[in-house]
Amino acid sequence: MTEQLTRLGCLLLALAIGGCGQPKDPVFHDQFFAFGTLIEISLYGVDAQLAESISEEIEQEFMGMHASWHAWQPSVLSSLNDHLSRLEPTTTDSSILPLLGEAGRLSQQSGGLFNPVIGNLIALWGFHDNPLPVGTLPDGAAIKDLVEQAPTVSDITIGDDLITSVNPSAAYDLGGFAKGYAIDLAINRLRASGIENAIINAGGDLRVIGQHGNRPWRIGIRHPRESRILASIEVSGDTSVFTSGDYERFFEVDGKRYHHIIDPRTGYPARSTTSVTVIHSDAATADAATTALFVAGPDQWLATARNMGIRYVMLIDKQGTIHMNPAMQSRIHFESGLDAQISLSARLQ
Amino acid sequence: MTRADRILILLVLCIMPFMYYHLWFGDDPANYLLIRSSSNAPVTEALRPNRMLHITGPLGESAVEINNGRTRFVSSPCSGQVCVHSGWLSSAGGFSACLPNRVSLTLVGQHPRFDAINF
Repeated sequence: MTEQLTRLGCLLLALAIGGCGQPKDPVFHDQFFAFGTLIEISLYGVDAQLAESISEEIEQEFMGMHASWHAWQPSVLSSLNDHLSRLEPTTTDSSILPLLGEAGRLSQQSGGLFNPVIGNLIALWGFHDNPLPVGTLPDGAAIKDLVEQAPTVSDITIGDDLITSVNPSAAYDLGGFAKGYAIDLAINRLRASGIENAIINAGGDLRVIGQHGNRPWRIGIRHPRESRILASIEVSGDTSVFTSGDYERFFEVDGKRYHHIIDPRTGYPARSTTSVTVIHSDAATADAATTALFVAGPDQWLATARNMGIRYVMLIDKQGTIHMNPAMQSRIHFESGLDAQISLSARLQ
Repeated sequence: MTRADRILILLVLCIMPFMYYHLWFGDDPANYLLIRSSSNAPVTEALRPNRMLHITGPLGESAVEINNGRTRFVSSPCSGQVCVHSGWLSSAGGFSACLPNRVSLTLVGQHPRFDAINF
């Protein structure tokens, strides 16, 4: 009996220790810089040669999109903006028309809170500069003037042959959208190559397809104010996880933070939100939605999410209160030691 | 069943949940630091001994400290200083970047807790 039990014990111990010797993680990783951020590609169970090749293709495509869609360096988009500012009907590279059309559709869904044609306002704040402004704020009268001109996507007509504008202050800046759109294109590219399990992560905003072997992908959501993980989520299938925060691009004047997410209604950085996390299927919608919900703030995010068809939202306000809908609460797992008030909203579906 | 049998079974039952939790949910120690920059090919750095590294990017030099298996940006020529304020990275999967200067730090281990970090 003693011998049998000893063998049983050894077997269980061997099984437990065997867990330590898991095979090497079969994930191919690559990284490169584009869109002013770091792009990370993770491919599960893909032949190394194919992984290298497809990763290189995606890098080249990102570089091409970045160059073509740049709002303030010579590009297809900045050339279009020049014509629009002079109210000249113009043609443009047909490759960017779907991008502009989708940005316009999402802007209208958001009630204009995601506004891709406030490029002049963003430039006025200095967010087209690198490095960002130090110690100076834009002229208040200039901000007021641009807000009163109220550029919206409705001012621009994208026809079969020509693009026209009726508002000279309308200028595209796709900073709150292009990254998500590019991720969607990259995912389509992966699928066309037969790759079904992957993550494309652009500076912390990401879309996953498939899963990590026999388990979901595990995503950590970073705390907006501390250098630690706030929460985690397991995702699989086809899911985008996007966050917009006031910590991404900002400068300080007299100890006050001025970040890059401008409220088109006031012309100033949106003041009541620290970060917004959205889970959605496609990355372009998730990208635009995080911007719109950030601007909407704790009082209006629920209505805006409904209008945009978003089903999972977490918004952290300036007081540190976490606002979320019940479906998001059921998907997200907060780290232990979280010291924050949670405000649960009505259902979104 | 002798007393030794009971102790052995108890020991195994105690160890298994701990190992399961440690392997699937625990923080994973980093094996090395991976530094990427737009100016140079990626480099790997051991996490010991303690030392300072100086990485050149388009804006200038980012200073990176390695100390007792951890790493952090000490200084960087960016206006926001987000990288410096993000503090120490200590476990596998830890990531920090100075985007304006195009330098990133990633702690690499065998079993990272997360496949990606959203921020």
